[in-house]
Amino acid sequence: MKKLMNDPVDFVDEMLEGLTAAHPSLARAGETGRVIHRSSGARHGKVGVVSGGGSGHLPLFTGYVGTGLLDTCSIGNVFEGPTVGSCMEAIQLADGGRGVLRLYGNYGGDRMNFDMAGEMLEGEIETTTVLGTDDIASAGPDERQKRRGVAGIIFAYKAAGAAAEQGLDLAAVTAIAQRTVDLTRTIGVALSPCQVPGSDRPSFVLGENEIEMGMGIHGEPGIWRDQLKPADAIADEMIDRLLADRPPNGGNRVSLLVNSLGATPLEELYILHRRAQHRLKDGGIDVVNPLVGHYATSMEMAGASISLLFLDDEIEALLAAPCDCPFWTVTA
Amino acid sequence: MSGGGGTITTSGIAATVQAAHAAMAGLEQSLNAADALLGDGDTGGMLARVIGKMAEVDLSSAADPGAALMQLARAATLATGSSLGTLLATGLLAIGKRIKGQPDIEAGMLSGLIAEARDAMMARGGASLGDKTVLDSLDAIAVALEGTMTTASAASTAADAAREALDCYREKPNRIGRARMFGDKTIGYDDPGMLAVAELAKAIRG
Repeated sequence: MKKLMNDPVDFVDEMLEGLTAAHPSLARAGETGRVIHRSSGARHGKVGVVSGGGSGHLPLFTGYVGTGLLDTCSIGNVFEGPTVGSCMEAIQLADGGRGVLRLYGNYGGDRMNFDMAGEMLEGEIETTTVLGTDDIASAGPDERQKRRGVAGIIFAYKAAGAAAEQGLDLAAVTAIAQRTVDLTRTIGVALSPCQVPGSDRPSFVLGENEIEMGMGIHGEPGIWRDQLKPADAIADEMIDRLLADRPPNGGNRVSLLVNSLGATPLEELYILHRRAQHRLKDGGIDVVNPLVGHYATSMEMAGASISLLFLDDEIEALLAAPCDCPFWTVTA
Repeated sequence: MSGGGGTITTSGIAATVQAAHAAMAGLEQSLNAADALLGDGDTGGMLARVIGKMAEVDLSSAADPGAALMQLARAATLATGSSLGTLLATGLLAIGKRIKGQPDIEAGMLSGLIAEARDAMMARGGASLGDKTVLDSLDAIAVALEGTMTTASAASTAADAAREALDCYREKPNRIGRARMFGDKTIGYDDPGMLAVAELAKAIRG
């Protein structure tokens, strides 16, 4: 697989150097430079919101550092968790004296490292944890807490970030993040694989005309693998699966995210989005603030994910609150 | 553990870390090779990095053995994002917290302390005994150390127990982590983490 890169060992650090040069609101920090924080620094008196994860998913996770979103983010090598040390640094840099929420995707390695980081800082900084668990293809509804976190976590970033900006305390910000995760559902479909820099083979193999429904953002196995179908048939199945998994307390208003897994262009996303809108409308569901674009990717993987956040009044207001990062801006 | 007496000292801990660090030079490639059969082939390089970072820590000012172990745990966390490295730091931190503030740690306490590390690592990583991981090595060591009263005999007993656990689990499948995806194909292979424990315990015994 062809990549624009130099030595694979430098892939992440050169990417971060370019990212921060392009977006001066982001700055690198930490002993190994693997923490991104707001160049304006932590705001005293505000609850900190921290995330972290492996590289290879931009704009996730580091791209969402900014006003009304994340304070800091630790970043690991491609598809590897951040080090405990960089998780500690991210927590410390986000600390404004009112505690720090750790908000990241449900992956074993990330969990271990963030838990360890919190334990090392016990007595210094109060921390809470909320895990993104929106991928409905990764476990059944009865094991929802085992699901992986994918694109839908950005809704939790937005709601928790807005709540923190408004001065809510750690318990309240944590509760909002958890409720947003509980009301978010995502499913993805993969059309072609990606490859970790330096690896001699792709992360998985799909036949020329094959797709996999429900595949995870690191190529984790999905629900079925079959021949490519028309976009409307794919969108219908994704929306049907999301609605079948509708949270018990989910209302009739949703925020809709149609996300590229990397290589799939905006044109195809809009074709999916068009059908998703029709299907939701037919089901009596209003779409508020739709998002279409690259929000959580897997490098050059082709495919898309659809996320629904079932809104309540409080979360809808938090989504509409101002935020500003290089990849998501809401103006008042 | 150096000294061979009945108590564990900060200088004994420092000597143990240096012995492990020296041994890693010869173990790095063989551990990488063992890991490449089941994972991404980085266990040796990762452990060399983590233990190297631990070996840089000046333990001479540590107040007591527990404080020394907590300093080592902190150093280990700086060098790795991998599960094995984080588990190692978790185990060190668990023992460090338990004995912090106590100047004298009897060698007879080792069995219980290793068991405590094992349990903390189990809670953090979600693996169970029998999954063919470092936890099975530590469990074997904790059991074997019951009743051991000197550091010299503890080092020898631990090395034997780690080797026996490695031999015993070779013919069983890995049940957790990336290696689990290979299922029964892992039968006949050494778990890289268990191999590392056995080799390091042997090096520390001297």
